[in-house]
Amino acid sequence: MLRIESLEVAYGGLRALDGVSIEVAQGQFVAVVGPNGAGKTTLFRAISGTVSPAGGRISYDGHDLLALPAARRAHMGIAHVPEGRQMFPSMTVFENLEMGAYTDAGRARWRETLELVFQLFPVLQERKGQLAGTLSGGEQQMLAIGRGLASAPRLLMLDEPSMGLAPAVADTIFERIQQIHREHGITVLLVEQRVAEALESCDLGYVLETGHVVMQGTHDALIADERVKKAYLGL
Amino acid sequence: MGELGWFAIDFLQALITGLLVGGTYALMCVGLGMIFGVMRVVNFAQGDFLMLGMYAAYYVATALGVMAVLGPYVGPVMAGLLAGPAVFVVGWLLHRFLIGRVTGVAAVGAEAEGHYAQIILTLGIALVLQNGGLILFGSLPLSIPTPMSRESWEIWEFLVNQARTVSFGVAIVVALLLYAFLKRTPLGKSMRAAADNPEAALYMGIDVDRCHRTAFALGCAITAIAGGLIASTQSFQPYIGFDFVITMYAGVVLGGLGSILGAFWGGMTIGLVQQLSALMLPFQLQNTAIFVVFLLIIFFRPHGMFGRSAERT
Repeated sequence: MLRIESLEVAYGGLRALDGVSIEVAQGQFVAVVGPNGAGKTTLFRAISGTVSPAGGRISYDGHDLLALPAARRAHMGIAHVPEGRQMFPSMTVFENLEMGAYTDAGRARWRETLELVFQLFPVLQERKGQLAGTLSGGEQQMLAIGRGLASAPRLLMLDEPSMGLAPAVADTIFERIQQIHREHGITVLLVEQRVAEALESCDLGYVLETGHVVMQGTHDALIADERVKKAYLGL
Repeated sequence: MGELGWFAIDFLQALITGLLVGGTYALMCVGLGMIFGVMRVVNFAQGDFLMLGMYAAYYVATALGVMAVLGPYVGPVMAGLLAGPAVFVVGWLLHRFLIGRVTGVAAVGAEAEGHYAQIILTLGIALVLQNGGLILFGSLPLSIPTPMSRESWEIWEFLVNQARTVSFGVAIVVALLLYAFLKRTPLGKSMRAAADNPEAALYMGIDVDRCHRTAFALGCAITAIAGGLIASTQSFQPYIGFDFVITMYAGVVLGGLGSILGAFWGGMTIGLVQQLSALMLPFQLQNTAIFVVFLLIIFFRPHGMFGRSAERT
């Protein structure tokens, strides 16, 4: 579904991504983990088109994604839930969700997805008339995910959904993400610093360090790997 | 009637005139506020779009014969409204070929987010429009010849100028239409989203550059309509934009930068202060009064009347 081949991104002289290759197949849950500054967010921005790569290829459903302007990419069925939630703070919760459904697919399935979002995150229904900027961090993250779902995506990309959240809230968020993947058949690409939680639910994982993929493998292989255990899982 | 009674009547008269004048000021501030709110671009040429609106209304009214067809009462109003679409096209083209190159997605990563280039560019456009106007329209002051500007309705003790009243009504209707457009239509909502968070808007599949172009052209058009309406109450020449651009900015900042509702009330406040100050101060000090009130409001509410007190997330 999504194939990234030897992607290179540089900011000035700094190489943020240096030959990264990642593949996501339809229906999979793929996690990209790694420490701060590994290039995880840059990877997502390259996929969404807010950063232009210096080299490499990104294909999505056989289309050359890099040839498409950023604003068209959401229309291909890619939902990007960005780091730090990125609300539309002066718009209501409901209007934020409506903006998520800006794509044709989102508009066509609006009622259905809205019901799903409210079922996953009932608090959003309670607060639908409230300005998004006044929500708590956890609620904002729920809204960010709900907004992503509202576009009726085939690929949901989540950038650090647990960032800045209390552990209990982060756990709820992770549960919901698994639920979205399992029960609704949406392909998930997750980027996380909380390695244990991210690897727990994935089919396939990549470990990214300073712009390189240093390890990749299935869920079982990574969990069992001594280096992963030591460096990330604290075992 | 005693001294106090006369003062009360003068005061109410100034209040009425201030409200009427404030209506058109509010509309022109809304145009500027819209451009700043969506694009975060400081547009120095806004006063000159007001000037273009005045000339567009004048030529639509006279040369295109709208006044001959619709008469001296409906004609000027229609001409003022038609200045909108005319200047919309100008704004759209300017954004397409000039402004768009230093704003929006093109400005990402530029020095100071492209603000240096934007300031120089809009200042340049302002100069070209002023001097181009001088060549095209001449330096002779003009105004749309309508009997409304001299006629007043007499209501109890007060004189209510007809041209100003009609302009006020039209300005309010246009502002309300814009408000409904931004609140209710998909394009309007996507423009608000692009204003709130351009990066997230891109992730939603919103074409941010198209939103900017629409906002710029619409902002120019709204200010031009205000100009077209003012054109039947006062005379103008190609340099008139300069007189207005400062007060326009005062209004927008007063209301709270980035808030279109704020721009409306900011403009209204400017109109009121200008007229009320004439009660006590000589005519030449009107602008001084505006800036004293401006400083007072900014002193007590640094983000303006409707500004966000919290930083954007």
